[in-house]
Amino acid sequence: MIFSEIYGSYFKAVAAILAKAVEGGLTEQKLTRTVLENAFGESLVTIPAKLKDGSWPLLTEGFSTPLQHSPYLPLTTLEKQWMKALLLDPRIQLFSPSEDGLENVEPLFTPEKFVYFDRYSDGDDFSDPQYVEHFRTILQAMHEKRKLRIQFHGHRGTRQNYFCIPYRMEYSSKDDKFRLITGFKGRPLTVNLSRMDSVELLGSWDEDEYVLPHEREETLVMELYDARNALERVMLHFSDLEKETERIGDRRYRITLKYRQGDETEILIRILSFGPVLKVTVPESIVSQIRERLARQAALTHN
Amino acid sequence: MAYSELIKSFEKIRSYMREFYVYGFKSREEYTKKSARSYDDERRRIESWLGGYMAFRRTSEGKNVFISVDNRSVTFNPLHNAWKAKSFTDKDIVLHFCILDLLAGGTARSVGEIADGVAELLSHTDIPFEIDESTVRKKLKEYAEFGVLQDEKHGRLLYYRLAEDGVDLSAWEDAAAFFSEEAPLGVVGSYLLDRRDEAPEHFRYKHHYLLHTLDTQILYEALCAMKEKRCVDITNFNVRRDAEVEHRVYPLRFYISTQTGREYLLAYHYRFHRPMIFRLDTIRSIKAGPVEKQHEKYESFIGKFDENLWGVSTGSDYSIDHVELTLRVEDGEGYILDRLEREKRHGRIETVDEHTYRFVADVYDAGEMLTWVRSFIGRIISFESDNHFAVSRFYDDMQRMNEIYGGGEEV
Repeated sequence: MIFSEIYGSYFKAVAAILAKAVEGGLTEQKLTRTVLENAFGESLVTIPAKLKDGSWPLLTEGFSTPLQHSPYLPLTTLEKQWMKALLLDPRIQLFSPSEDGLENVEPLFTPEKFVYFDRYSDGDDFSDPQYVEHFRTILQAMHEKRKLRIQFHGHRGTRQNYFCIPYRMEYSSKDDKFRLITGFKGRPLTVNLSRMDSVELLGSWDEDEYVLPHEREETLVMELYDARNALERVMLHFSDLEKETERIGDRRYRITLKYRQGDETEILIRILSFGPVLKVTVPESIVSQIRERLARQAALTHN
Repeated sequence: MAYSELIKSFEKIRSYMREFYVYGFKSREEYTKKSARSYDDERRRIESWLGGYMAFRRTSEGKNVFISVDNRSVTFNPLHNAWKAKSFTDKDIVLHFCILDLLAGGTARSVGEIADGVAELLSHTDIPFEIDESTVRKKLKEYAEFGVLQDEKHGRLLYYRLAEDGVDLSAWEDAAAFFSEEAPLGVVGSYLLDRRDEAPEHFRYKHHYLLHTLDTQILYEALCAMKEKRCVDITNFNVRRDAEVEHRVYPLRFYISTQTGREYLLAYHYRFHRPMIFRLDTIRSIKAGPVEKQHEKYESFIGKFDENLWGVSTGSDYSIDHVELTLRVEDGEGYILDRLEREKRHGRIETVDEHTYRFVADVYDAGEMLTWVRSFIGRIISFESDNHFAVSRFYDDMQRMNEIYGGGEEV
């Protein structure tokens, strides 16, 4: 069963509260903080009251508990089966977790049951030992708060060399690629892992050095005419971006979305793919690029 | 019944969250045709679960509520929270912690011993809290089915102990963090991460779609039936008919779009005698039926069926459309050829001359390719197909776009 209270935030919060009570360190403030950290916005109204009014008689006077042990719930079959299924995923080689404890477990699913029909075919090679080593070195640097020296070849084949702090690894399911998100001289830098020639682990970084470079965001406004179920198609397609939608007339909507400046060409292509149901009004740079492409297209069609 | 932020059934909240997330422009009045109180309760719950991801806007039509997430900046899918809001009774939670306490350390105890132990643990309170042995037995059986307890017979008595799990979760943290966002049934990874004090925040995602988590139960039920080679009865909401329709099918594969986040079930339809594709988000319920003896026969249809499937549409009659897309590629535009190569799902690329390339494919529905074809606007020499409807639509759309943006050649 997927939807069960044993996986729920209330059980998680109460387990954390009882663990503190068993240790003997539970106080009113700790109880409040534990609920806030583990459950939902309004849980503070319910959980402490239930524990205090005897509805859930798991605490005694003075925030003690009759329980003797810190609550421990063994992994469920569902959880183990999901982990076992991951062991069949090609990307698991990047992590190489221990298989101990999963020997006699059936995988929840096998990869061939899932077809990612519009995924690009030039994804990263997750079985390449050098790629795996680079991935793990970056992950280790993030865990240990250490800097890296990376060498990679750029789009035009030029070799580049950077000393950097790794902030995040970004994965795109569509591209099936990992990218390192880092910065250089205060500017964001994104490097495809498949382009890296070497990754070297360096010393620790100081807290004041860890400043996530701001990636410039642009605002795009477009009008949608809801023909051929366009509203739903557009809304879903652009649901990976932060957006707002307003109804401005009969079957007409205004969509405002945010995108990273570096993704402008990709956004342009995505918008073009919807044809005449979308009309971009802002920014002018995208509007003029669309006009330019349409003009080029008209010239090709008429020749 | 008094309001609670927890829910018994997922189905109702599924549609509200979808509306808030996908659209977000509807006013309260549009939701409250059936029940204003229901809308207010569901909105309040979602707000409690998602906190800062809920946004509001006042318009002339009223107050609009929507879920606003920059998917690229989130480390974990906030919609997973909905799965952690299952309601329960006072007895459920009290028994849960008492049983875990009594069996801690690997001790095996009989049902009677556990029932007595629970009574003892609760003896500190004057407030009556009665739990009889049959309730304890039921809970123990339920937990054995979850796999967290093991049962064993000692003579005529049934004993329970905590299940052994030799899994070192700390070695799985990074994998669980990544796959909770990128593997099917990712919410299970989120459950695993909840067991840790802190979840690693080393990953983020581009082209990341969050909504599919709401269809996890449907996917899970279909997956279980697939494993047991069972047919299923599905209740599907037909958008065109605006009605629920029942289908008996044999489930074969899941088709996932990495460009919209939509998920589909490919299944053999018994009544129509052919493979069909259903959107998971329109399936209301799914129920396993009998084991299919001819499962190998239906499995064998997949390869042939997939050969001509561009996306998920088979057209109206499963006939094959021939498609030829001819592109102009200038010097220094090798990236266009790279695009063609990596984005084509079927078919082949022919070199016509130094600057002209042709993509040729046979697909069920040329109309389904139009979104991809239009992404090459500015380089298309011709788009041809024996599906004349698709060709007309492409050229009509081009004309319409020229009108919208102020006339192609004149710009």
